[in-house]
Amino acid sequence: MVAREASQGLALGLISLPGPAPPKAAKKPKKAVLFFEVEILDAKTREKLCFLDKVEPHATIAEIKNLFTKTHPQWYPARQSLRLDPKGKSLKDEDVLQKLPVGTTATLYFRDLGAQISWVTVFLTEYAGPLFIYLLFYFRVPFIYGHKYDFTSSRHTVVHLACICHSFHYIKRLLETLFVHRFSHGTMPLRNIFKNCTYYWGFAAWMAYYINHPLYTPPTYGAQQVKLALAIFVTCQLGNFSIHMALRNLRPAGSKTRKIPFPTKNPFTWLFLLVSCPNYTYEVGSWIGFTIMTQCLPVALFSLVGFTQMTIWAKGKHRSYLKEFRDYPPLRSPIIPFLL
Amino acid sequence: GIVPSSVVLTSFQVMSRVFLIWAVTHSVKEVQNEDSVLLFVVAWTVTEIIRYSFYTFSLLNHLPYLIKWARYTLFIVLYPMGVSGELLTIYAALPFVRQAGLYSISLPNKYNFSFDYHAFLILVMIFYIPLFPQLYFHMIYQRRKVLSHTDEHRKFE
Repeated sequence: MVAREASQGLALGLISLPGPAPPKAAKKPKKAVLFFEVEILDAKTREKLCFLDKVEPHATIAEIKNLFTKTHPQWYPARQSLRLDPKGKSLKDEDVLQKLPVGTTATLYFRDLGAQISWVTVFLTEYAGPLFIYLLFYFRVPFIYGHKYDFTSSRHTVVHLACICHSFHYIKRLLETLFVHRFSHGTMPLRNIFKNCTYYWGFAAWMAYYINHPLYTPPTYGAQQVKLALAIFVTCQLGNFSIHMALRNLRPAGSKTRKIPFPTKNPFTWLFLLVSCPNYTYEVGSWIGFTIMTQCLPVALFSLVGFTQMTIWAKGKHRSYLKEFRDYPPLRSPIIPFLL
Repeated sequence: GIVPSSVVLTSFQVMSRVFLIWAVTHSVKEVQNEDSVLLFVVAWTVTEIIRYSFYTFSLLNHLPYLIKWARYTLFIVLYPMGVSGELLTIYAALPFVRQAGLYSISLPNKYNFSFDYHAFLILVMIFYIPLFPQLYFHMIYQRRKVLSHTDEHRKFE
């Protein structure tokens, strides 16, 4: 359901250290390069974990993390949080050593972020689950409904349509994860995959159970209701995809630049005029469409929970846009035009 | 805001108590004469009398050691007592819930939703298994912290 915003992808491989360019002339360089020393202490115990000497002044935090991993291989770079103050904010990978407020001997504090897993892996797992699980219910695999219903098919058109929509939605998400999104962060804590998968897989099973149930009741207003719902669903799917593409195009591959998103020629992106995170707006719209289509209370509850979470994310994103950009368009609301 | 207790843990406890009273004991009249009801009512009552005295005296900055001791010691007996009373009451209510189809919705219906209160109650009972030890050991840990602290202070008086 969630389309977290696409931002610059961090190459998941290690960044190789650029060495100093060898001087072309045979002359000795007149200026001596001032090397830094970096000591890394544990943020909690203040124990000295590592001492690096002869660090290039233009070395980045990412490079320092790589050096640290050499002496402590169990703490791969994604797991390291390095900071200037034990209780302060984490330094970014792109921060350059000599630009930090440190003397020539820098003291960095290390905190272990715990086992990490890549965003891509989490997304693929959490989205593949619902796709597969829903189909188990759709095909009425044994032990779900009574044995006399095994492998039977629903006589309601809307049930088949719902399966197509649900499956399309998650296939779209999987493809976007692989080909569209540009992630700001490479990894997240490992425990998130259990939390997220429980949420997605659990709700998928719960919804699918009722929609594909032999005693399913089709929508009260029949074909009209289904047609309207389908229109909303398709429109919002296209909208959501358009926003994902627009966000992708904001950021060249390999960079982590952040820019204000603006409407493009694609009419679906015109929602940017009113809203900071139209991808979430369209996502909620899709699920409202699906709710109307299936007239199923668990779907409504899933939409509500998702809406709540996306609103929290949208408000956070909106706040960071406002903080970062002085000229951020004032008309925009986080997720619902004028309201939220 | 007024006392330093965790909002999450406290609301959990309040919710569980409200649930026991309204959703179980009040709703299923047949269990109202069970001994298990007496068990948890007594446990809760004694706990709360001590707990609120503790908070009141703490706020007045005049906390008798006895109250502090009672709050952090009697739970060792009262807590399991309360939990046993709660579980036994829910268990006693089960057959009546099933028979009456209490608070349950079955298919088919136009909202395509179902809810089996009987199964839900069983699930609630199962949840006690991970939750009770956590809360209990949290209190034991608090006890060690609070009561040993006092000992140190008293040594220097």
